[in-house]
Amino acid sequence: MATRVHSLIRMPVAHTRRFGAIEYDPSSVLTFPSGLPGFDGHSLFTVVEQPELAPVVFLQSVTAPELCFLAAPVAMIDAHYELALNREDLDRLDLDPARSPVPGVDVLLLALLCAPENGPLTANLLAPVVINLHNHRAVQAVRSDLRYSHQHPIPSTAEPVCS
Amino acid sequence: MLVIRRRPGETLVIGENVEVEVLDATPSQVKLGIRAPKSVAVVRKEIHLTRDQNFASAREISHGALARLSDSLKNRPDSFKNLPR
Repeated sequence: MATRVHSLIRMPVAHTRRFGAIEYDPSSVLTFPSGLPGFDGHSLFTVVEQPELAPVVFLQSVTAPELCFLAAPVAMIDAHYELALNREDLDRLDLDPARSPVPGVDVLLLALLCAPENGPLTANLLAPVVINLHNHRAVQAVRSDLRYSHQHPIPSTAEPVCS
Repeated sequence: MLVIRRRPGETLVIGENVEVEVLDATPSQVKLGIRAPKSVAVVRKEIHLTRDQNFASAREISHGALARLSDSLKNRPDSFKNLPR
């Protein structure tokens, strides 16, 4: 999403604590109409990719230099994840409430990761970020059931395996 | 956990200032009305969990964890290397 379209077109610049000043394509900016829980005023994020972390990405606020999340495709964590969107979230995404959005076609699901220095990497599957691929509107869709954890552990395959 | 049985229209009180009234109940859902001072935050538990988890996620992107993640992703199947655009 953060591709540079043309060298002659001057892209806007976001100042970030993690990446310094970065150019971003305004047409690829994700708009969270109501922010995220705890970050209510923060609506505009750009996706920053680093090849060595793909398909994990950073969601960097374009207005708050210090605000950045690490996010992974939900399908990478749970291939059978079942999305549940309430009416409010469907409206915020501008999706038709009469039909279920298809992941990968209509929407992209990302899980926000918590990556502490000491302690396991976890993903919030209770509240995935849902991006409407047609208009780049996004919500953090908080489920009201207890089916998925907000601290779903991600096993590290790099850990030594005892035989 | 304290368990109290109440019917629609009945109320319980928490501390000096918080009242919880059962407005309606069906076999699958209970509708509650809450009277509390502005200083008392009333929020659905899943929103509260997500807010705290978001604070932790925004705070905790450590170099060590990124290095471990990068290592573990090398062993992933290629089908996840590219996000849909």
